[in-house]
Amino acid sequence: MARVTPTSGSKALYILCIIVASFLLYLDINYKTFDVIKNQYNSLLISSSFALKKISIDPISYIYNLLQKNSDLINENKELKKKLDESYLSNFIISRDTKFFSDGEHIKSFMEKNRIKKIFHSSVVRYFDTEKYFCCDQHQFFIEILNKSDGNFIGSPVINSQGILGQIINDDKYHEVLLLTDTSHSLPIEADGFFCNAKGSGKPGIISCTYSSLIWPEPIKKGQEFFTSGLGGIYPRGVLIGYVSEIKILDKTNFEFDISLVSNPMKENTLGVLERL
Amino acid sequence: MNQMSLIRILIILFFTNILESYISPILILFYINIPLTFLVFSYISYTSKTNPSPFFSFSMGLFVDLISGVFFGLNAILFCLMTYFINNYSNAFKLFSYFQIAIFFGVSSFFYIGFSNLFVNISNFSYQNLIFSFFVNTFLCYLVTLRRLLLPSLFKSNTL
Repeated sequence: MARVTPTSGSKALYILCIIVASFLLYLDINYKTFDVIKNQYNSLLISSSFALKKISIDPISYIYNLLQKNSDLINENKELKKKLDESYLSNFIISRDTKFFSDGEHIKSFMEKNRIKKIFHSSVVRYFDTEKYFCCDQHQFFIEILNKSDGNFIGSPVINSQGILGQIINDDKYHEVLLLTDTSHSLPIEADGFFCNAKGSGKPGIISCTYSSLIWPEPIKKGQEFFTSGLGGIYPRGVLIGYVSEIKILDKTNFEFDISLVSNPMKENTLGVLERL
Repeated sequence: MNQMSLIRILIILFFTNILESYISPILILFYINIPLTFLVFSYISYTSKTNPSPFFSFSMGLFVDLISGVFFGLNAILFCLMTYFINNYSNAFKLFSYFQIAIFFGVSSFFYIGFSNLFVNISNFSYQNLIFSFFVNTFLCYLVTLRRLLLPSLFKSNTL
């Protein structure tokens, strides 16, 4: 169907509309008459866009952020767990330090100082009843030999960086060490041609020796150094054991003196086990 | 407006105006101005089977003035004028080629841009912008007229 060409009546309407529009334009340019309407429209537009955003984008954004947050928390949890595991491992290594950190340098230096040319095995104290050590006359502790080779360690001397501690008397999972101060222990010692079998006193850090002035006329002095004689076939010769701390007169000819040991079994956790002589 | 309801036209103009507000700042960098809202309204008037009334053009113009934030009456005048010309030459257009129709709409947009700039953007009035926009709009309108040839499966209508 063909469209009808505007008649003069409709042309007049167009002219009227254009005149009205021109008048509105004039009012708006010169007097800003319609600013209120425009502002209200803009306000409505902003409010509605804000409301739309709040009911459409914000929930999605919230869910996304929540998921992201959860994801972050999971990652953080994993990271913390990893650090905790590392911490556990680190603590485990520290708790079993000798496995990793015992390099035996202090034992080596002790052996070089005393010219002991023997193979030693690093070991670590596993159990030491210190209460029994201080109260009673049975002085033992248990050690574990690290990197041990096949072989019998019974009778092997146990040393630390200070000196000789004792000898292994039992070879089980852990090796039982009889300390020099145990009353059942006997250690051949010497000093300036004087020989004696020093027995454990049952006191911490003290061994004692008895002698007769009829056999050894030379007097023993306080502070005199005593060394291992090597006569027992257990300990190497010439290792400093201790100093005379007290001399007791038993009768006219018999004397007893105490030797303070230079080695303290509680000083170090890492020890050395010498191979048997 | 039998073919298209008033609400539908308002919605189309509203979203076209939003689209125009997004693309105009980009196109102006190339001295191009495409008055999409005006062209869409012209297209609606052109494809209408009946003559749009001057009140319709006037009210649509005021609506576009409102949503685009320009002076009230500016688009109303131009929409009325455009509707008048389309109505006046609606039968003559049938004799025109697609290219001539595209030139008509290109000239209309040229006039629209010039007239709008006189009121809204007089300090930045640019003939370069006008000339460039004329060519681009003519080309754009020509593409619209050729849409059935370019995309036959999408546009099956016999109307322009």
